[in-house]
Amino acid sequence: MIQIASMKKVFLVLLILLMLVPASVRADNFERLRRDSSRISTISADFVQKKFMKILSKPLVSEGKFYYTAPDSIRWEYSQPIKSVVISDKGNTKRYIASGGKMIEDKTGGAQAMKIVLDEVAGWMSGKFTSNPSFTATLKEGSNTQITLTPVGKSMAGMIEKIEITVTRKDASIKSVRIVESATAETRIDFQHVVINQEIQPSVFQDVQ
Amino acid sequence: MKGFIFLIGSFLLISCAALPAIRPVPNLAEKNIICPSPFLTGKIRLIHAIEVRAAGQVQTVMIGVTMMDPVTRTISCALMSAEGVALFEAVSGPDGLKVSRALPPFDAADFAQKMMDDIDLIFLAPRGALTEKGIFATGETVCRRHKEPGGWIDVWQGHDGAIHICRYSEGGRLQRSVTLAGGLANPYSTIDLQASERVDYSLMMTLIESEAVRDEPQRKE
Repeated sequence: MIQIASMKKVFLVLLILLMLVPASVRADNFERLRRDSSRISTISADFVQKKFMKILSKPLVSEGKFYYTAPDSIRWEYSQPIKSVVISDKGNTKRYIASGGKMIEDKTGGAQAMKIVLDEVAGWMSGKFTSNPSFTATLKEGSNTQITLTPVGKSMAGMIEKIEITVTRKDASIKSVRIVESATAETRIDFQHVVINQEIQPSVFQDVQ
Repeated sequence: MKGFIFLIGSFLLISCAALPAIRPVPNLAEKNIICPSPFLTGKIRLIHAIEVRAAGQVQTVMIGVTMMDPVTRTISCALMSAEGVALFEAVSGPDGLKVSRALPPFDAADFAQKMMDDIDLIFLAPRGALTEKGIFATGETVCRRHKEPGGWIDVWQGHDGAIHICRYSEGGRLQRSVTLAGGLANPYSTIDLQASERVDYSLMMTLIESEAVRDEPQRKE
């Protein structure tokens, strides 16, 4: 009887250790990511975005350019199939769309919606994957590091099931983002020709053209 | 003076409310008039850039995907932001209207039905009895249908080759005006829809991609 009680204790201790060890490793890994990302001051990259939906027979492909300067300046520019630019700089976000051969400011609430997204992206670029309380973050190491963000609560129910971010082990820059909206809809963004820590002119985050 | 303004105003209101008059074509029997038909004959998937205008200004640009089967009159559609965020998804057909995704402001009570009605008007041959064939005062050949449960649809080809589709209420108020600038050869390349609502708006749709649909859409990769 005493033996069974002791075994139960040992089992319980092992279980607690098993639960605690991955948690501490996870915290260390996120801390390492934050440290590595802190060395990044600028990123410029091309991106290819593929949108998968039940209504589409093949993914809808969008292309564009991405610019980031720490801590929170972002230019997210689509060139195909529709030209649009979202600029976030010093807490101010504006969205521009192409019309009649020129870029004009979006008059709907689209810019504010994009501000939420870009603030999140700026956080990822600086290695802050666990700072948003709306998501729980898990991390998986492999040839690259994969972070999975899962929405907490019901605020994103029906909008986002999860976000997977792949970060290169080499320089902690983001390689791809996969946003799973539902069982039949997702968006994948692959970053290419990534250039890190080369000067980006401030006008990139101010001028649309 | 006030009475004069009232009279002028009343005249304008009455003239706007009335359906345009259709005259017989001289020396041509009505049965020999060919109605312009830019409407779908097979299952298709179209992707358009949609420029939304209100109060004379461009408000935003979206991506619209529509898949239609003219035989069953089934319409599947999705609206995305320029960045690819899915804002609205719905299917309308013999089993009714089913909205699977509607983020604000596309979750408004009658938005889905009105959008499906607009897609139906643009792409699917109008239902209802053909009541008149003839020409407008300006000389274009026009065909008029009376639609159920009420209202009128005129389809005509302009002198420039553009196809026009207009929907009127039963009382003759213009509700929608569609211009297919590509004419019968390429009707869905550029679509201009003018809507008369509480707040008037217009949609300028530019074709990005067109694909005949032969089987069910594939799932994700």
